[in-house]
Amino acid sequence: MPTKMIEIKNLQKKFKNIIVLKDISEQVNKGQVICIIGPSGAGKSTFLRCLNALEQPSSGQVLFEGQELIGLDDKKLDQLREKMGMVFQGFNLFPNMTVLKNITIAPIKVKKVDESTAEKTAMSLLTKVGLADKANQYPDQLSGGQRQRVAIARALAMNPEVMLFDEPTSALDPEMVDEVLKVMRDLANSGMTMVVVTHEMGFAREVADQIWFMADGYIQETGTPEEFFNHPTTPRAQDFLKKILK
Amino acid sequence: MKGFKHLLMLIIIALPILCAPTSALAAENSSSATNTSQVANNDSLQKIKQKGTLVVGLSADYPPYEFTTKQNGKTKYVGFEVSLARQFAKDLGVKLVIKNMDFDSLLVALETGKIDVIISGMNVTNERKKSVDFSNTYYSGDSYFLINKSDKDKLVNAKSFNGKTVGAQNGTLQSSLIAKEMPQATGKGLAKLSSLVIGLQSHKYDGILMDAATAKAYAANNSNLYAFNSKLPNTAGGIAMAFPKGDTSLVNAANQTIKKVNSENLINKKWIPQASQYMKSYKKQNTILSYWRYFAKGIEYTLIITIVSVFFGFILGTLFALMRLSKNKLLHSIAVCYIEFLRGTPMMVQIMFVYFGIGAIIQSLPALLAGIIAVSLNSGAYVAEIIRSGIQSIPLGQTEAARSLGMSKSETFHYVIMPQALKNIWPALGNELITLLKDSSLVSVIGVTELMYQTQLVQSATYKGVLPLFITMIIYFILTFTLSRILLYFEGRMKHAH
Repeated sequence: MPTKMIEIKNLQKKFKNIIVLKDISEQVNKGQVICIIGPSGAGKSTFLRCLNALEQPSSGQVLFEGQELIGLDDKKLDQLREKMGMVFQGFNLFPNMTVLKNITIAPIKVKKVDESTAEKTAMSLLTKVGLADKANQYPDQLSGGQRQRVAIARALAMNPEVMLFDEPTSALDPEMVDEVLKVMRDLANSGMTMVVVTHEMGFAREVADQIWFMADGYIQETGTPEEFFNHPTTPRAQDFLKKILK
Repeated sequence: MKGFKHLLMLIIIALPILCAPTSALAAENSSSATNTSQVANNDSLQKIKQKGTLVVGLSADYPPYEFTTKQNGKTKYVGFEVSLARQFAKDLGVKLVIKNMDFDSLLVALETGKIDVIISGMNVTNERKKSVDFSNTYYSGDSYFLINKSDKDKLVNAKSFNGKTVGAQNGTLQSSLIAKEMPQATGKGLAKLSSLVIGLQSHKYDGILMDAATAKAYAANNSNLYAFNSKLPNTAGGIAMAFPKGDTSLVNAANQTIKKVNSENLINKKWIPQASQYMKSYKKQNTILSYWRYFAKGIEYTLIITIVSVFFGFILGTLFALMRLSKNKLLHSIAVCYIEFLRGTPMMVQIMFVYFGIGAIIQSLPALLAGIIAVSLNSGAYVAEIIRSGIQSIPLGQTEAARSLGMSKSETFHYVIMPQALKNIWPALGNELITLLKDSSLVSVIGVTELMYQTQLVQSATYKGVLPLFITMIIYFILTFTLSRILLYFEGRMKHAH
């Protein structure tokens, strides 16, 4: 029996009069790698951002390890977010801090880890993502691929139980995509629970345990990469795959 | 519609601010009204004796009446009216405290309880009698013209000023004399007599009308100036002390002192000669350099006002910036009203309002504190807008990244947003800081001994107008230039926080 990590029940999200997420119920189990794919404007990013309450759903429930996220007070929410790392399309590194400081600031200030321990952890994470030599540089001295790897290390430094990736390679030059995907692949292999919004079909096919296909504010179908890519059941998915595989 | 709403909100916010001091004034008026009734008659004298000090207001640029001299580097008030004030305080058995301010601020200061009595060459007029109670007179002098010696042949009487410009100190008998008796001349008024004399020397005015003793003093101390009797009708009933309406017992006490002084002819026999002595000893050591202590004290106070006001202005600014950005509509509206109102009214008015207005409620509010409060409040409004722009310049992604790491709102603000915002707004903040340092000179109007005020003291003490101004200008420049270098240094150190 797999352990439920995130449970989504009848999730709805409206922006003024536009309904972006119509009615979504799904669950993420511990150790699973979920890739969310679909045409742009499907609501993928909004959905992902609802999972750690960066976006407040209009109705429905998001439960993390059984704890309801919506309407939680700020302090409890902060505590839950520590367990949910997030990587953004635009990296969002703190430009006023060195790479090392970017990674250690949250453990030191939020988790009250002492500085030398935090730095040791940060260095081992940087080694993992292949950037140990950049520890004392500032974000503007790094390439896009390097920045995104630092961002992943920064999220991992909080020792999260799940990692949310919001189109992590979409803002990168093509030659830098692979270095980021490699880090994510290693992370998946290490057993991390991951929810990844991506357009990288190769990565999704290879790494995902499950594909969630989103379009028009719904999750249209879910399945293993094998099922989804080879035998899509909904016309919407068939149409989408036809277009991107052209 | 929205604009109207804002306006309405502004009025609602401003109303209590505007009403508070007036009601306090009204309360004071009514209390002084009860003073006139026999019960409270003796209160005023008793109050002075109880607090142990007599606070005398004067405008110390009026030799030989009252002016400043330097003794062991300290400013000392001298002149025959200062001697009179000292005698009065001695007779009352209390300590004398002198408050030096612009002549036209004296009546407000008396009205708001900042001072107990005006002893400042104030002529008794019917108009003034409406707002103050006068003692008996102790001196009366004709009005004299002070002119440039080069005009000595052209300007011989009041008529020869037809079509010319005559200056007088604001609020003095002479300024109303010009209006009444010299309709063909253009009257010009300034708050400081010393500024008028500079104007005369630079031919802004053809002559200055002032009282005899002062005119003679100026002429005696400056060989380029010449004084002569205007022969204008003296509508005044001589010079007397002015007290708040209804302070009858204090007036009676003053009259006793004056009676004694008059009977011994102390003013003419002892005090005026003494004052002339001070003026002469000045002339000898009348180099600007010997006044360096004046400037040093001025710099000290200017820096105190600047540093303290920057500190509180920054705190207020941050607070109001956050309030303005807040989703809470009430907080937002309060911040908007505060910022708009403080930015939309002159700082000079705010300074005087805090000192005389708020000071009417809190009697013991010192001028320095009032000045710092006004400057801080004013600066807070500008800093708030600068900080708001800084916060808004940081991309939303920064907040989201910090929050997704579990940082709280305040941790995010403190460690992520503010350091970056600060870097972005640093030049604008520096601008505000330099402006504040310069604008602190406005505080001189309420008698804080900052640089500008000290400069005016030096001007009247040295009978020199332009040189002290020039020195002060250079000092301000050195201060601001040093400041901008320091700011630049820190800007360099924040190079990476963008």
